[in-house]
Amino acid sequence: MRWANLEDILPTQKLIKSASFKEDKKISYISVSESELIALLKLLKEELGFKLFIDHSVADFPERKPRFDAFYILYNPQKNARIAVKTQTDGELDSAQHLWFAAKWAERECYDMFGIKYKGHENLVRAFMWETYSHFPLRKDFPLEGYATEYLPSLNEVFPGGDLTGLMNYDRMHTPVPTLKDIEITERSRLKKRAQIVLNWGPLHPGTHGTMWFLFDLEGERVVQSDVILGQLHRGVEKLAENEMYNQFLVYTDRMDYLSALCSNQAWVVAVERLLGIEHLVPEKAKYIRTMMCELQRINSHLLWLGTYALDLGALTVFLYAFKEREKLMDIIEGITGARLTISYTRVGGVRMDLPKGALELIEAFIKHFPKELSMWESMLSRNRIWLRRNVGVGIITSEDVYYYGLTGPVARGSGIPYDLRKLDPYDAYPWVDFDIPVGQNGDVYDRYLVRLEEMRQSVRIVSQCINALRALPPDAPFMAESEDPKKLKLPLDGIGLKVQEGEIYSSGENPRGELGFYIISNGGTKPYRVKIRPGSFYNLCIYPKLMQDRVIADAVAILASLDPVVGEIDR
Amino acid sequence: MIAVILIKVLIIVALVLGLGAFLTLVERKFAGHVQRRPGPMVVGWHGLLQPLADGLKLITKEDLFPSMGNRILYNLAIILALVPAALVFAVIPFGPEFSIGSISVKPILTDVNVGLLLVFAFGSMAVFAIALAGWASNSKYALIGSMRKAGIVISYEVVITFAVMGPIILAGTLSTYEIVQNQIQQKLWYIWVQPIAFIVYLFAMLAETGRVPFDIQEAEAELVTGFTVEYGGMKFGLFPLVEWYVEVLSLSAIAVVLFLGGWSPINIPFIGFVDPLFFLGPFSGFVWFILKLSALFLLTLWIHWTLPRYRIDQITQIAWSVMLPLTLVNLVLTAIIAPLIWR
Amino acid sequence: MVKRVFEKPLSLMERVLFLDFMKGLSITIRQAFKRTITTHYPYEKLKPPKRFRGFFGHKVINGKEPQPAFTEWVERFKIAVEPGKSRCVVCLLCKRACPVPQLFEIEGEKLPDGKRRVSIFNMNMMLCTFCGFCVDACPVDCLFQSDIHETASYSRKDAVLDLSTLEKIGKDWQNRREDEPDRIWADDNARMRLWYENSPKLG
Repeated sequence: MRWANLEDILPTQKLIKSASFKEDKKISYISVSESELIALLKLLKEELGFKLFIDHSVADFPERKPRFDAFYILYNPQKNARIAVKTQTDGELDSAQHLWFAAKWAERECYDMFGIKYKGHENLVRAFMWETYSHFPLRKDFPLEGYATEYLPSLNEVFPGGDLTGLMNYDRMHTPVPTLKDIEITERSRLKKRAQIVLNWGPLHPGTHGTMWFLFDLEGERVVQSDVILGQLHRGVEKLAENEMYNQFLVYTDRMDYLSALCSNQAWVVAVERLLGIEHLVPEKAKYIRTMMCELQRINSHLLWLGTYALDLGALTVFLYAFKEREKLMDIIEGITGARLTISYTRVGGVRMDLPKGALELIEAFIKHFPKELSMWESMLSRNRIWLRRNVGVGIITSEDVYYYGLTGPVARGSGIPYDLRKLDPYDAYPWVDFDIPVGQNGDVYDRYLVRLEEMRQSVRIVSQCINALRALPPDAPFMAESEDPKKLKLPLDGIGLKVQEGEIYSSGENPRGELGFYIISNGGTKPYRVKIRPGSFYNLCIYPKLMQDRVIADAVAILASLDPVVGEIDR
Repeated sequence: MIAVILIKVLIIVALVLGLGAFLTLVERKFAGHVQRRPGPMVVGWHGLLQPLADGLKLITKEDLFPSMGNRILYNLAIILALVPAALVFAVIPFGPEFSIGSISVKPILTDVNVGLLLVFAFGSMAVFAIALAGWASNSKYALIGSMRKAGIVISYEVVITFAVMGPIILAGTLSTYEIVQNQIQQKLWYIWVQPIAFIVYLFAMLAETGRVPFDIQEAEAELVTGFTVEYGGMKFGLFPLVEWYVEVLSLSAIAVVLFLGGWSPINIPFIGFVDPLFFLGPFSGFVWFILKLSALFLLTLWIHWTLPRYRIDQITQIAWSVMLPLTLVNLVLTAIIAPLIWR
Repeated sequence: MVKRVFEKPLSLMERVLFLDFMKGLSITIRQAFKRTITTHYPYEKLKPPKRFRGFFGHKVINGKEPQPAFTEWVERFKIAVEPGKSRCVVCLLCKRACPVPQLFEIEGEKLPDGKRRVSIFNMNMMLCTFCGFCVDACPVDCLFQSDIHETASYSRKDAVLDLSTLEKIGKDWQNRREDEPDRIWADDNARMRLWYENSPKLG
């Protein structure tokens, strides 16, 4: 995927007076004044084909006037080109909610985290924090530890005779937690009751696959309107990123989309490598290992999705069949990386360790048997009349919806849009392997199911090609990049001393749940200045209230599972 | 005579509760092996005492009650669930008449001449238990679950009644004991002439008992556990015990009586019966009954652990637009053809 | 490049004869007669692979230190070398590499003969992310992650590993597993219960 050049956006130079274009290999952007922002976005969307909304956020520069840098990232599916739009503001922007629904959610997040007011936004409520919270956590003047105002001694040890010394002697003052009253205010700000009962579906509920809180306004079993309250798992990963070294932040990418930690790891290190400009230095072996592990993780993640999805629709047994295969993958991943869930295997410039003995043989044994299991589950589910009736025609997403709601990953592909970053913006070994992009026809739940199943088959194909490539490499081939000039650029395993030159980049990887993008602003230190994470699940979820309109509760699980959100990634 | 009746009552109560609890183990073992795991293995040999341990755990649990609930209805629901389900066994014939010394014993508690009507009357009572449980819990999930179940039971009561009408016409009686006797005399299991009714009865049975693919009143992914969500301890344990085991058993027993010739051995239509278990002498009838019952119960489990579940609107739609017309056609055909053959 | 996937509707035959249900039922019943794949956890335990990232330990001085790095660091910091004691040279690199540095509490002490040695090395496992950056950072192969993974305890205090615990874990590791080859797993037979259908042939 390339960044747009002047030719792609030529009309903007004429029509928008304040627009100035800066072309770059890492990110090209149009700077525009605050007042002409919406006109520019509209022009880009409607005339120039930059239809797909990727991301919007803000960076804070407290010493500067105007203080905030707001950026939008858009994608043109015809020309396969991206463009960023940048504007400077002091806290007030026009809302882009009429252009993209996804912008509405992104703006809510910016309001929540930076306190940016959006003129014309329909329902500007906080995205993650509760409504009565009075700070804006991602502003630079908000301390990393937060404001400790609440006396909460219960978090310290009160074991009889246990004296609180040393490392266990935590501070008794903590950052505030929402009270019941705060939560009620938050809930009421989201939904005005119109029908019979409001069903609180979550935050702790087996159907929500995590701690999401849905509000369904029900007429009988029919959902009249619905909304989501996010933030139960909000840990401020973006704030932490500003205070961790580039390698150390890897640990937090594990904990975002915890079901596909390796893919997130890979997306992050690829982003940093691209920012450093050292992609060509990464050894072939490391690239193949990363790609192979990422695809194994993709199968792993889709297996968990398949199992829980079948469980949600009542097919209890498929869940354990899927988990049987998943357990094998866990064995492989554990043996190679040492961890099962939070993996932290990749490093900027390579991988942490070479493959151990027996790894390739074991993976080969797995992928030889796996397609048989897959077709067995398929013959249990795909053509089952109950499965068809529960899935076909439910939760239809049209291809226009995909652009309007900023959907990516299998959800977009289920609607017939072949948006797959492994093909469009290949990284690591993806340009060297051969695979297909499965796309659906109707964009219903069933198509998304078929797409994910087919994706597992394609992953098996990729893995077997990677195995062959790794076999052909000499066993002592390097797995970490050697810096050309160790004085200028250190590439250590432990990440101490890795400095990144000034610059910015938006780079993304294809997670099992959609596009996982990292917008990194570096000011030349060992820590990034600002990291905006573009979570696939967050934008995929934003279509959910629309899909739930006039459906019954039983479809809630089917539609939600077909969007496959992971709360760790949504809330970050 | 009273002594005989008392013994019968004791046997049936012990059967209903003891067997019901034991069947939880059967189900867990079956589900385990289907899912490539061994199931309970720790308490007793291959987990044989697991139901006891489960019962002990459930009994010793704290009895919680939702603060805004209705305590009388809340407790009444449990009784209403358990008692009618157990009473159904009063009209189920377990075997042929036999005699101990001079007393001749019919292994059926009361052979009333409206036995089948009684069964479906008791069956309909289940809906009250569930509706009450959902209402008295004062929880939205429980309410939705119980309303779903009420919807199903109302639809499928109709279907199941029409489905059994065929065998009733063939037998010409409502007494369960007589129906089996008639099948033996006519040398014909009614399943051979009523296959559609049998299949419809099977699915209606799954719907009535809340088994997959019709387990939407539980639907743990959507409603947590539906109408039992506010119950705890043994009170919670009783609902699945009644729904999933006692009711499945009683309805399977009715299916055996109506379609599979009760205690009679393997049937070759219109020719006679073949009994590979002849060496058991007078016990062979009982063994056949138990075998058929277990086969139906295992079939239920097998379906439960294989299929996904329907949606509520689809379930009721199937009942009214597919199953009911089918059973009606079946009923009409039976009513026209049966008199020509047998009378 | 783009592969279309689509729904194949049921035929009338399949509808009437319930062939779709039959297929599913035949699969589940066939699975029921296959071998179970589970490990009976508290009674049987799998041995974690050698690379497993569990609780931490300090390898002790036993003559197998990585040379010349160890001698260099000992000389630079004037560390007292005592066999059977931790290899730690108090370089604090582990704390620097850690994403949560406050979990470390490391102090050195001066001995009467002017040499130094580590006196306090506490790690608060409640904050640890088990990422292994500290292990990568350790220049003398002292800090490492063992295969200890059953770490529940009754008190928060037990989650702090002090120097003597770390040394104990290290000695235990050096006795048990240090010399194992770097293999994807160590217990082929136990793993075969899950893997027998795949029949992997590991070298």
